[in-house]
Amino acid sequence: MSVVELPAAQDSSTAEVLRKLAVIWAEFEAKLEATPLIRKLTRGRFELTDYQTFLVNLRQQVKDGSLWMSRAASSIGEEHLELRSTLMKHAVTEHRDFRLLESDYVASGGALPAIQNAKKNIGSEALSGWMFNEASQRNPFGLLGAMFIIEGLGSIKAQEWGKLAQSRLDLPKDAFKFLLYHGENDAEHMREFEEMLGLVLPDDATAERIVTCARVVARLYVMQIEEISV
Amino acid sequence: MTHLRDAYITGTGVFLPGDPIGNDRMEDFIGRVGDRNSTVGQRALRWNGIQSRHYALTPDGEPRHSNASMSAAAMQAALADAGLGREDLQMLSTATTQGDFLVPGHASAVHGELGGQALELASFQSVCASSVMALKAAVMSIRTGDHACAGTVASEFSSRWFRPNFYEGTALLDAKGRLAMEADFLRWTLSDGAGALVLEHKPRKDRASLRVDWIDLTSLAGSFDPCMWAGAPTADRTDMKHTWSHSGPKAAHTNGAIALLQDFALLKVIIRAWIGLYLEKVDNGRIVPGQVDWLLFHYSARSLRREIVDILQSTNAMIPEEKWFSTLPDTGNIGAASIWVMLDAFLKSGKAKPGQRILCIVPESGRAMVGFVMLEMIA
Repeated sequence: MSVVELPAAQDSSTAEVLRKLAVIWAEFEAKLEATPLIRKLTRGRFELTDYQTFLVNLRQQVKDGSLWMSRAASSIGEEHLELRSTLMKHAVTEHRDFRLLESDYVASGGALPAIQNAKKNIGSEALSGWMFNEASQRNPFGLLGAMFIIEGLGSIKAQEWGKLAQSRLDLPKDAFKFLLYHGENDAEHMREFEEMLGLVLPDDATAERIVTCARVVARLYVMQIEEISV
Repeated sequence: MTHLRDAYITGTGVFLPGDPIGNDRMEDFIGRVGDRNSTVGQRALRWNGIQSRHYALTPDGEPRHSNASMSAAAMQAALADAGLGREDLQMLSTATTQGDFLVPGHASAVHGELGGQALELASFQSVCASSVMALKAAVMSIRTGDHACAGTVASEFSSRWFRPNFYEGTALLDAKGRLAMEADFLRWTLSDGAGALVLEHKPRKDRASLRVDWIDLTSLAGSFDPCMWAGAPTADRTDMKHTWSHSGPKAAHTNGAIALLQDFALLKVIIRAWIGLYLEKVDNGRIVPGQVDWLLFHYSARSLRREIVDILQSTNAMIPEEKWFSTLPDTGNIGAASIWVMLDAFLKSGKAKPGQRILCIVPESGRAMVGFVMLEMIA
């Protein structure tokens, strides 16, 4: 029954961190599934106003994403230049993504100032505040755990949610650019992620911090979605 | 209370109705909905890799057995395999997705078929993982010392749910008379049969037994909506006030509520949740992949998507495929019964050696559940 061909096993430190991250991811996904907004989406009760509220709430956090990544890069010492380069490239790739959310919002019939001027919800406040704080620490390698969760949202959940939203709402295709097309780039980001782990592991304290950061970000992200009123 | 005792599997038995039916003859048994060939069948079979299965129906759709009679036959076979008889059985737990009756429980029907003296019964109804629930009840009755000999049987008679009269005249057919994918897919997946185990507090003297080291069963229904269900149409499946018994059987049938249905988008999410539960057990040391000699997994390797195998591999959690044992391609997916049908074939293959550890994993998409059973072969 040799159907699947397998890549070589990982070195044990990277494998252990990845395993803990995968467990945190699965718990995170189950919690997301039970949030009011996602329940509406999967239960076929998602309406235009839900989609627009979703875009508005995502924008504030996505806009901060490349900013904390840039700050994290600036906190990385010269002994880790390669990781610093990767983070900087990453930040550049993503720092205009919030514009996609704005154009989706406008394509869905919303007014640009409404999405641009909206306040962060308290989940986004907590998430963003915590990220900037962590990114300001010296060599903030724990943020790789945060990236695992956030990149996972892009590569696993975005398209799934985008397709569901598209099937429920009578909107032009260009109202779903962020969710539908953002995901494609992120599959590559996940491969990059394993390489980044290899740059900072094995190291017990770093491994522990990566896992803790993933837990915190998963919890705060769920809070951000819970705080979207539907 | 005294100390808990070990529990040993001392006999296994199966009942597979009729001859194996190849992929080309399936619709002769489950019928053609609206007299047309299914458009989903080939895709479903490519995905699940099943080549033959058994049906408890004649080609005309007449029942040749009941769910209870198949259960009883498998239980009798397991008792015979253990060198015991009906008179030795003190407790019986049963597992099935849907018994012959709505009420009372399936275990009563099986006891009725088996006949004989009084028994303690436990009746478990869920989908595939009901097998693990029922095993746990039987094992606990041995471990506590309540009984010296317990039986557990898991069985399915799915094919009668797949006959055209379950679908025709319902909302599950579109204007052109085509059956909805969420209903048709399962017709190409599930089939009939039963598997049973005998449990005792001592291993056998004449040949090897399996000690049950631990059984873990985890439900994530608090997070997920129904993924494989019957009793409500898709749109109403999360509203328990709109299930079949409220509208009554006739209206429920017309609405498409009386059919087994599967949500494929949700299934993908639930597969990741299963993997998460498995990885958690690897992470906390409950399962050490390198110490598992055989894996009996109620799922096909080819149905696991590439990225799932990648994640198992990159987290050092993959049990190499040469350690997998499965009868899925030959006996089909028999829901709850599959894992014991697999275990019976595995023991009879002679592959297991004393001291080896055998891990059974039974995921259930019903509402996100997974059961793990760790066994060790004792000489």
